[in-house]
Amino acid sequence: MALKISRTLLIISFLLAVLSPLSIFAADATESEGGSIDILGKTADHDYFDTAFGKIYLPRIYVINGDISFFSSTKKALASGEFIQTEEGLVRADGEGIDLDLSITSHLVYVWLGILFALLFTMWAASRYKKGIGSQTAPKGAIQNIFEILYLFVRDQIVFEYIPREKAGKYIPFLFSVFMAIAMMNMLGLLPWGASATADLTVTATLALITFIVTQVSGTKDHWQHVFNFPGVPLLVKFILTPVEILGLLTKPFALAIRLFANMLSGKIMIICILGLIFIFTDLFGPSVGVGTSIFWVGLTSVLYGLKVFVALLQAYIFTLLSAVFIGMAAEEHHHDDHHHSDLELLSNTQQSNNH
Amino acid sequence: MAGGGGLLSFNTGFAIWVAISMVIFLFIMYKFALPPIMKALDDRETNIRESLEAAEKALAKAEEVSKNNEAVLREAEVKAQQIRKDAVKDAEVLRADRIEKTRLEVEKLLLDARATIEQEKKQALAELRKEVTTLAIEASTKILKENMDTEKNQKLINTFVDDLSKN
Repeated sequence: MALKISRTLLIISFLLAVLSPLSIFAADATESEGGSIDILGKTADHDYFDTAFGKIYLPRIYVINGDISFFSSTKKALASGEFIQTEEGLVRADGEGIDLDLSITSHLVYVWLGILFALLFTMWAASRYKKGIGSQTAPKGAIQNIFEILYLFVRDQIVFEYIPREKAGKYIPFLFSVFMAIAMMNMLGLLPWGASATADLTVTATLALITFIVTQVSGTKDHWQHVFNFPGVPLLVKFILTPVEILGLLTKPFALAIRLFANMLSGKIMIICILGLIFIFTDLFGPSVGVGTSIFWVGLTSVLYGLKVFVALLQAYIFTLLSAVFIGMAAEEHHHDDHHHSDLELLSNTQQSNNH
Repeated sequence: MAGGGGLLSFNTGFAIWVAISMVIFLFIMYKFALPPIMKALDDRETNIRESLEAAEKALAKAEEVSKNNEAVLREAEVKAQQIRKDAVKDAEVLRADRIEKTRLEVEKLLLDARATIEQEKKQALAELRKEVTTLAIEASTKILKENMDTEKNQKLINTFVDDLSKN
């Protein structure tokens, strides 16, 4: 189990290691040319929604002293005179703080779109199954087959694999929903003007928080005993172990959030940087070199795009898998008469699963 | 960076939106979207498993039936052979019986015939004796009319009659 995950991580870190020097170089080069391409701006959240036909400005909502102020766009907010534009975004004209910024942003729209697509896809499939297509007969059509592959993959390879069988049933909807939502959000970033909502730390942190809550709610007595009163160790060691265990609880969702965020963000930055090389080469060696090498850069970008499609599904899988692992660990009923014994069993189990 | 936060910043307002959206999303998935799918697939799997089990059971049953049939067939063959043997034996017995009976009948007929012949012979002899006696008496009467008193004749007649009766 653990080895499986570490293998996946190894592949990803390998990819990052191979590709990251390029991106650092590219980012530096772009900035030295006066920042004509704002790389981070492309990955950041915006107050407008980019479409193929132009920008749609999104409403700004602020909570100030318990009152909600609503402006249909940033311009309207500025026009009201209550806010001024600064480097850090909008601040109040009178210099006081904003309690809560509930503005609709582009990433939020992509979260909604991702959720909506996941929901529509699932609802569509549900209506097919309700009609008896797929329940009485075999599933018909490519789309329903793809849905079933995804669903059965999440159910059999993730949920049944890592969560105790007698408890697995109630976690299927949660993990499948998370998988679908993340996969959809990831793939929306493949649109030329689109963005992955999962390339935003806020989104991944919130998703990780939900997993964290679900994990702790499904924690058994054993789970909590292992955190606060580790069995089979002397009292003094417990004083050291308990903080470590609590830290362990918190690092799990942290790892989930950072992993998804970093992977999705890096893909986007990579593509912008590699396409940016065309303009860097034009500036450095003249238009003919820029145009000549562009074939290579565009080809590389296409390859990266293919990789991003794969990574979009892979990261959704990894997030779901790790969520299942964490939930499974918390929900497991240990039978430890001798704790070291069960550790050995676990080790041999992972070796067995690795051998498969 | 208008709206939203920087690359690594955590935006509380945005997080609240995401959390609310996710909770609603998860609720709809839990309540409406996924249960029919889970049920349909579980049903289908149960169906397939049951069908396979039923097919296996039916196959085992068919095998058993065919094995039974074979046994029954063999038994029937043995029985048929037995019946044939019995029939042959019966026929043999019957034939012997019939022959014996016929023999006895023939013997009886023969005996009867002999008896009848004997009787007929006796009767005929008796009749003959009677006739002879009558004839003798008639002859003797005729002779007697001639010489009745002759002792010698009397004696002759008696001897004649005795000889007759002996025959």
